[in-house]
Amino acid sequence: MDTSQLLKGVLDLAVLAVLRKDDGYGYDVVRRLRAGGLNDVGDASVYGTLRRLYNAGMLTSYVVPSEEGPHRKYYSINEPGRVRLAESRDTWRSFASTLDGLLGEVA
Amino acid sequence: MNTQALGVEHYVAGMRAALDDLPPHEVAEIMEDVEAHLAELSTELGEDETIERRLGPPEQYARELRQAAGYPPRTERVPVTVKQALLTRPRAAAWGLAAATGITLLAGAAALREPAILLLPAVILVLSLALVQDRGPQQAEVMNLRETVKLKEWLTPQEGTPAERALTYLRSLQPAWWLVRAGLLGLGAVLLAGRDLLGFLALAAVAVVSVFAAPRAKTDRRWLWFTLPVSALAVGVLFSVIDVAADQLRFGGPARQSYSAPVVREYENIYVRDENGKLLTNVLLYDQDGQPINASDRYYGCQNRGEEPMIPANQYPRPKIDYENGVCYTVTPSADTPSSAPSSVSSSAPPPSSGAPSSSVTPTSVPPSK
Repeated sequence: MDTSQLLKGVLDLAVLAVLRKDDGYGYDVVRRLRAGGLNDVGDASVYGTLRRLYNAGMLTSYVVPSEEGPHRKYYSINEPGRVRLAESRDTWRSFASTLDGLLGEVA
Repeated sequence: MNTQALGVEHYVAGMRAALDDLPPHEVAEIMEDVEAHLAELSTELGEDETIERRLGPPEQYARELRQAAGYPPRTERVPVTVKQALLTRPRAAAWGLAAATGITLLAGAAALREPAILLLPAVILVLSLALVQDRGPQQAEVMNLRETVKLKEWLTPQEGTPAERALTYLRSLQPAWWLVRAGLLGLGAVLLAGRDLLGFLALAAVAVVSVFAAPRAKTDRRWLWFTLPVSALAVGVLFSVIDVAADQLRFGGPARQSYSAPVVREYENIYVRDENGKLLTNVLLYDQDGQPINASDRYYGCQNRGEEPMIPANQYPRPKIDYENGVCYTVTPSADTPSSAPSSVSSSAPPPSSGAPSSSVTPTSVPPSK
C-alpha cells in the first residue's frame, strides 16, 4: 500500500508533533519528519502544510537573519495549535485502535 | 556553486510563475520558505546533482505545495509573465526608495537650514513602501529585480580581496555604525533646536527610531525604506557640520578678529591738527621703518590731469577730488574739513566736498571753527 496516500491525512498531525518541543524552519521540519521514520514525505507537501497550519492560526512565524543566503523563517506552535494537536492525537489513536481491531479480526 | 545559484534562480522563477494566481502576500510568504529551502539544498547537492533532480520540476513542486496548503488548483489564467511587465510594483518601490535616498543625501546638507525639504523624500518613501507593504518582510521581488541583483553584485567585492576583508570587518562593526548614525542625527537635531522646534522633534525622533530600526531591517526588509534614507540623512548632517566648521575656521574664530580688524578699516583722508586744533597741511606721514604711509590710489588725485602738480602720496590731508562735467578737479582741503572735536578727526567721516573746483593744490590754512 502506498503510504503517501495515508500520509496526506495525517501530515498536519505529524508536523504539529515535531514542532511541539522546538521551533523549526521548513527544511528543519522535513528533516525531523524523515528522522522520525516518514522517509517518503515530500518537501513541497511539508512546506504547503506549514502554510496551511499558519493560515489556520495554529502556527506563528518569525524570521531569523542569516549572513549567508536567504533568511530562515521559523515556525512555532501556539495555543490553538496545541489544542488541535491534542484533538488530532486522540482522533488518530481511536482510529488506529479501531483499525487494529478490524485487522485483528482479519488475522 | 555558481551554476547551483543559477539553478536556484531558474527554479524560483518557475515556482513564481506557477503560483502567480495566488494573492501576492501569500506568494511572498511561500517564496520566503522556498528560497531558504533551495539555498540550503543547493549546498547539499553533489557535483552532478541538480535541484530539479532532487525535487522534481518547479511546476510539480508548486502543485504539491498548493495541494498540501489547501490552495485552489492553478487557474488557467494565462500568465502575464510571458512578457514581464516593465513597471511592476516592486520596481516602482525600489526606484522610489533609491530616489528618496538620493534626494535625502543631496538635500541632507540643506536640511539643517530648511528641514521641510525632507518632506519630499518622506512622501516618496511612504508611497513606494505602500506599493510593496503586503509583499512580506523579505521583499524577495524587490531583491530579485535585475537592477537590485546588479547593485548587490557591484557592492560585493570578490572573495579574498582586501576590499572584501575590509567590508567584512566594517560589517562586524555594524552596531557601532548604528550608534554613529544616531549620534549624527542627534547632533543635527541639537543644531536645529534653537531655530526650528518641529524639525528638532522630528529629527530627534528619527535618531531614536533609527537605533531600533537597524536590527529589525535585517529580518524585515521593509525597514530599509526607513534605514537607507536615514543613513543618507546622517551623511548629509555630517557634511553640513563639516561645512559649518570649515566656514568658522576660514572667516570666523578669534584668529581672524585680531588679524584683520585694523586692515579692514579704511580712511578716506587724514586731517592732522596741532594741540590748538589748528589744521596742519602738507604733513608727510611715515611709519616706524621710515616707509611713507601712502594714501590709496583712488585718493591720490586726478590721474588724467597731467598739468596738475603731483603731490607725494603720503602727504595729508589729501586734496579732495571732484568731478564736474566729466572733468576731474582736486579741491584743496580747507576750513570746511571736519571741524568736530579736534582729537576725533580720524573717526568722523569727512564732509562732502564743496566749493568751486580749484586747480591749485596750495593749502590754505584756515583756523577751524570751534
